[in-house]
Amino acid sequence: MRRTTTRLLPVALAATLFGAAACGGGGGSGTTSDGRTVVKIALWNYQTTPEFKALIDGFEAKYPKIDVQPVDILADDYPDKVTTMLAGGDKTDVLTMKNVTDYARYATRGQLLPLTGAVAGLPDKSAYAGLADYDLAGQYYALPYRQDFWVLFYNKKLVGDADVSHLTWSGFDSLAKQLTKGSGASKTYGTYLHTWRSVVQAVASAQTGGDLLGGDYGWMKDQYGIALDVQKAGATLPFATASSQKTTYDSQFTTGKAAMVPMGTWWAAALLAEKAEGKNPVDWGMAPLPQTTADGKTVTFGSPTAFAVNKKARNADAAKQFVEWASGPEGAAVLAKIGLVPSYHDSSVMNTFFGVRDMPTDATSRQAMQPSKVQLEMPVSDKSSDIDQILTEEHELVMTGEKSVDAGIKEMDHRVKTEVQ
Amino acid sequence: MTTVTTRTAPAPTAATRRRRRRNALVGWSFVLPNLLGFAALTLVPVAGTFVVAFTDWDSYSSPKWIGLANFRRMRHDDNFWTALQNTCWYAAGHIPLTLAASLGLAVLLNQKLRGVGILRTAFFFPYVTSLVAVAIVWNMLLSPDIGPVNQLLRHLGWSHPPGWTTSTDWSLPALILTSVWRDMGYYMVLFLAGLQTVPAELYEAARMDGAGPWARFWHVTMPGLRPTTFFVTVMLTISSFKVFDLVQVMTEGGPGRSTLVLSQLIFREGITHGRFGYSSAVSLALFVIVLAVTLAQFQIQRRSER
Repeated sequence: MRRTTTRLLPVALAATLFGAAACGGGGGSGTTSDGRTVVKIALWNYQTTPEFKALIDGFEAKYPKIDVQPVDILADDYPDKVTTMLAGGDKTDVLTMKNVTDYARYATRGQLLPLTGAVAGLPDKSAYAGLADYDLAGQYYALPYRQDFWVLFYNKKLVGDADVSHLTWSGFDSLAKQLTKGSGASKTYGTYLHTWRSVVQAVASAQTGGDLLGGDYGWMKDQYGIALDVQKAGATLPFATASSQKTTYDSQFTTGKAAMVPMGTWWAAALLAEKAEGKNPVDWGMAPLPQTTADGKTVTFGSPTAFAVNKKARNADAAKQFVEWASGPEGAAVLAKIGLVPSYHDSSVMNTFFGVRDMPTDATSRQAMQPSKVQLEMPVSDKSSDIDQILTEEHELVMTGEKSVDAGIKEMDHRVKTEVQ
Repeated sequence: MTTVTTRTAPAPTAATRRRRRRNALVGWSFVLPNLLGFAALTLVPVAGTFVVAFTDWDSYSSPKWIGLANFRRMRHDDNFWTALQNTCWYAAGHIPLTLAASLGLAVLLNQKLRGVGILRTAFFFPYVTSLVAVAIVWNMLLSPDIGPVNQLLRHLGWSHPPGWTTSTDWSLPALILTSVWRDMGYYMVLFLAGLQTVPAELYEAARMDGAGPWARFWHVTMPGLRPTTFFVTVMLTISSFKVFDLVQVMTEGGPGRSTLVLSQLIFREGITHGRFGYSSAVSLALFVIVLAVTLAQFQIQRRSER
């Protein structure tokens, strides 16, 4: 009998361990050993995205009885991972909403806790840029803490005396060609147009009024003409190369390979952080995004980033406290201090922003931060993710020269009308 | 005259019964953790997929039974047919090429050559390398403008070499090329093991009958490797139809939909678009296809053995 017990013991132990492992997913205590309330927050690339640490440190300094713990996820995998986590009943308290399309998905499925009461209690809603984008039939399930929009980053040394303060897209095209120098490994490109479809499509939508969900995309034609012309002239790294090499926009700019890069304002914080670490020697500035028409207005596109509370949060009250603090004036001050554009804005926040060490403070950079209109990058709809897929696929084909602009647009029209029900 | 006597086994004593029960219990206790793991991580999810395929479940709200609607939708879904077509093309390229390459390598490296051990390791090495690393390196090698492959092709006089992963015509061949390079070392090892089972006497006999190297290969080696070839073909078929990771890292299904495969469609529909019901229906279709092809292979094998 003793021998049987000896044989069974390791097996029983293995079974127990297996059971414990199987039941342990998403577990963890709601408090720390010293009694502090734990708030877990899903976020991406914690080490290289300075905003998260800044916000967590700022919040914990004010509320020492709450321990905010990051759940770090790779940026590229973030939406898929969060979707899977929520499907599995994960109890992570705060969820960062990377874009409004994902927010709409989670909110309409009932996976987020309503924050409508918190919004109703705000003294001045107009001070929160992007807040309206989270309005789902009068209900709010997230509060924005960042409001990024696209500007034109430029390398002061490479651009030289050229005036980038009021560029049209045709002026940008000419300047990019003019700034392109050298050949082979020592070639300097006039610009770098990243592979995201927004670089062409969202620009065109914002500046021509075209509807990205409409199924009629003729309004993209001129913007594709510019992007392809720049590429054909060799003034940007070809789309096919950037795509197959998985080139990052940061590497093109910080190594001095590209003189001008249209990109979102979030990049300023990363460039400053790199400079502080001695990794980025580029002297850079910001200019308004080039425009389709030279009417003096600056129309750009952007997307707010928000925090939401998981409906299954273990510590919902503390999680709400974090979300409200991060999106409010105190969170905004923390973000502005590291060079990010917070959703909450007032004059002191912008002064803080331009007071950051090494932040360009020239008139053109200040002008870039005050666009006339910021359009949402992708309208919120239950069809957004399907349409985004189609537009991305066709964008790739047009930019790699597999399809003409007309054929690509025709296919977008056809597929959105027939495939998205 | 012969007398046949039959001896009946004596009835088991109580002690024997106890020992047998104890042995059975010990046996079960060893397989139980594995069975539990299999049930929890394979059997239940697979059974769940069968049920979910008939619902419109979005992974969070209560599933709604919709009968065959997901399968009707599949019939009219352009993405499904594109993915199925791409998967079949991928399998049609990957299976025979890997089979030929791994068999050729095995026969070559079965010789008593100097440094054969190093060569075997070198060819096996890609298989144990991270697939993500393989995909990234091949993406660089096949880069249309600055990749070494196209630079070599230009040097050889091909003025407009393929765009590889950025061309709709060449993206699937590029994936096949990469996967053959990665997999051939593994299947080479299986063939090398198979070659050890072919009796040396048969080669001797064939040689004495005047058979040359080709004749010996076709009439001795190939028949001797039949069980290994069958096993490798079945494994390659299953892995080809389930291909996902390489495509996801190298092309993400693009450009356009030129490398969209069924596993990717399943992932995209379920995780990206939150349509777990439809995603499960496509999974079921993939399961049926793989099962049918595998059963057909077993059937062909059985017939050829008769």
